Amino acid sequence: MELEDFVSKYPPKQMMLIPVAIIILALISLGVTYLNTGSPVKLGVEFTGGTLVTVPATESEDAAAAEYAKYPLVDVRNIGSRYLVQFGPMSDSQYSDLAKQTISKYGTDAEIRHMGPIYSKELQAQVIRYLPISFLLMAAVVFVVFRELIVSLLVIVCALADILTAAASMNITGVQLSLGTVAALLMLIGYSVDTDILLSMRVLKRKGTTEEKIVGAMATGFMMTGTTIAAVFSLIIVSNFLYLIIPSFTRMDIIADMTTVLIFGLAADIFNTWVTNAQGLRWYMNRPRKSARGQKR
Amino acid sequence: MSLLEDLSKDRRVVLYAVALALAIILIGALGLKFGLDLQGGSYLQLQLEGAVAQVDVAPEKILETQFNASSVQKLGNAYVVMIPGKVKATLPDDLGYSGSKMVEQNNITKITITAIDTDIITNYLKKSMDADVKIVGVAPVQYEIRTNVTRQSLNAILAPVGGKVATGEKAFVEGLTVETVDETKKVLDSKLNRLGMQDIRVRVVDNKYILIDLAGMDVATAQDVVGKPGKFEIRIQADNNQTIHVLYGDAVASVDIPQGDRSGGWGVPFTLSEEGAAVFQKAAIDAGAIKNPDAHPISMYLDKDEVFSAPLAAELAGSLAKVPVRTLEARVGSGDTGSTKAKELYIHLREGALPVNVAIVGSGQVSAALGKQFKVQMVIAGIIALLAVAAMVFYRYREKRIVLPMVATSFSEVVMMLGIWSLGGVWFGWQLDLSSLAGIIMVIGTGVDQLVIITDELIRGGEAVPAASDRSIKERAAEAAAKSGAGKAVAASSKVYLGRLSRAFSIIIGAAATTAVAMLPLLYMGFGALTGFALIIIVGVILGTAIARPAYGRIIGHILAGN
Repeated sequence: MELEDFVSKYPPKQMMLIPVAIIILALISLGVTYLNTGSPVKLGVEFTGGTLVTVPATESEDAAAAEYAKYPLVDVRNIGSRYLVQFGPMSDSQYSDLAKQTISKYGTDAEIRHMGPIYSKELQAQVIRYLPISFLLMAAVVFVVFRELIVSLLVIVCALADILTAAASMNITGVQLSLGTVAALLMLIGYSVDTDILLSMRVLKRKGTTEEKIVGAMATGFMMTGTTIAAVFSLIIVSNFLYLIIPSFTRMDIIADMTTVLIFGLAADIFNTWVTNAQGLRWYMNRPRKSARGQKR
Repeated sequence: MSLLEDLSKDRRVVLYAVALALAIILIGALGLKFGLDLQGGSYLQLQLEGAVAQVDVAPEKILETQFNASSVQKLGNAYVVMIPGKVKATLPDDLGYSGSKMVEQNNITKITITAIDTDIITNYLKKSMDADVKIVGVAPVQYEIRTNVTRQSLNAILAPVGGKVATGEKAFVEGLTVETVDETKKVLDSKLNRLGMQDIRVRVVDNKYILIDLAGMDVATAQDVVGKPGKFEIRIQADNNQTIHVLYGDAVASVDIPQGDRSGGWGVPFTLSEEGAAVFQKAAIDAGAIKNPDAHPISMYLDKDEVFSAPLAAELAGSLAKVPVRTLEARVGSGDTGSTKAKELYIHLREGALPVNVAIVGSGQVSAALGKQFKVQMVIAGIIALLAVAAMVFYRYREKRIVLPMVATSFSEVVMMLGIWSLGGVWFGWQLDLSSLAGIIMVIGTGVDQLVIITDELIRGGEAVPAASDRSIKERAAEAAAKSGAGKAVAASSKVYLGRLSRAFSIIIGAAATTAVAMLPLLYMGFGALTGFALIIIVGVILGTAIARPAYGRIIGHILAGN
């Protein structure tokens, strides 16, 4: 069988070079971005501070932009039946004027989101504080579930690799760090270990050779990730593309960002579970030792 | 029919059925509340500024500096301040030491201030920072400073009186006490409620931020209504083209609901405290407003913005000439504008100042039409997600008997989540917003994952034979039943079956627990923007693991065994 070949053809240490290379590439991508911008991923408006306004597209994009010429305009985009106008940081009184001007023209039909400097600073601090907590909580649960150091570490390393890959993919695809993408990264922490737990449980608790058990778990694992990808993909379609077909629909930024990160993370997860974790388990279970937990070939 | 009979005896299935029924009843009876981003309105995110500090400073030194005194002595419960030369009679009052005694003799002024050390320190902090200061702890004494202050700025304020912030991390803690934050929330709550606005939500995050959702209001109005509250002050026009301070908001004892009179005029009746009334009377007499009201109008300020200005009414001026008057009315005009003005002034008077200074952190508005559209889009996304997942499951198992229960279980988990949500809406003000709808779809994704684990574990059991994938599901089910060593009907309760089920659950619980704990930090992140997302995932994972998935394990076992 092809899958069997894939799992057992090469020695684990050789196979592990691929994930190591990918992690290194991800780290390089994050590192380069860090050196250029001061943060490992590009920060969205929520983290830099600024204002987003979306208004009904009743006139040309240029005309809409011209109205906001006296504010620190960053970008104007068409998002379906509406324009998204993005502004950089501005003073409170400027924002107050902006809000009043927008409301006097569009009333409550306008959507406004203003993120002041305290907001963005606090949000950055929160991410730095909470992302590791989330990861540590996950790691603690994994240890409790397996009570075996190497097996747990493998799962945790895979989750870390998933997140690094997903974060690096943000740099490649130009997705910025927003509340939605932070949520997605946290979601990924919990999500990515599902298949790793399945794999490790099967390998630890079942009879048979490690390779057979890995291939057996693979069928279930692919299915699991497949259903998740199906759910996430439908969100991508609805949030990101449906507005191109149905003109009255609008792009849903938070969902679109979230799902883009998830899709990359899930793709990374397939690889990390069935190569990184699986090969790690192969090495661990088949290594010469006295303990009789796994079966030697 | 044995399937239904068997199932109806199973505790897990019964629990599942009851939970599902309960959820449907809850949704029907209580309904669901939608978040701001789905129904339209505006939001404000406020930061409460302040810190709790311990200070090292001698009260004598404070008094010495404030009064320019030659000596300060503590005598029992009082401080005696000696000042060379004459001083203004109102000096102690100006510095905030009302009720002091002042004697002048031999070109030396002796002021006796009845106060304890903490009063003097509190007063000094208040005066120099123009903010409320409250003692919130004894031994060591802690001062809650209700404005934007840092350790450095506080040290700078204490330096002229030879003091400093006490050493140690704990001596200066940014943030306010829970009581103060609570008090602020209450003031905001009542303030907004009194405005007669519906669907207002005021939440506290991190004991530091207050989030306000105002449905059906634009953000400019919302900022005006909420963002402005600050110091309320009454001033009076003096002769020299300047206004003189009379009272702050704390002298206003109570405010009554605005009233219209027969001629259509509107006013806000309010009552001053006893001291306030005396001060008001004195100020009116001193400024000459009693004799010539029109030249000396009374004005009210909120955060230095004039919110009201009018001369004393003739009859009031007449009474004030003789006695202090406690009950007053601010007349604002007639008709609709009068009524609106009266309502605004009412809020300003009533809630003259929030207990603490606030800074607007973020704000915005969502269009109602857009929210409605997002709702539709999310429902479509949910349906597409469920269909896509069903298609994947069917592709894998090629069995209606597995696909239908799986999709039905997944859907029922959504119903249960919504049931809890409608209950949470009543108890805790939980709302369905865009992010919680996204969370529901995520739960569908993870939920089906776990149903796949159960199904595979049951079908494949202990064997890890990859070749099984090309056998038909019936063969595998039959094999599973045969392996259980008994007839089909009892397969669902056999040892082998239960062993497999429990193995499936050891995986599921591990996976569910990691998902749930990874979401925990999100409850507190992003000023509540992602609370709904995290909460509904945690709730969904718990409901799924505890109720829906065990029942699914039983049901699918019966379906696979019975044929």
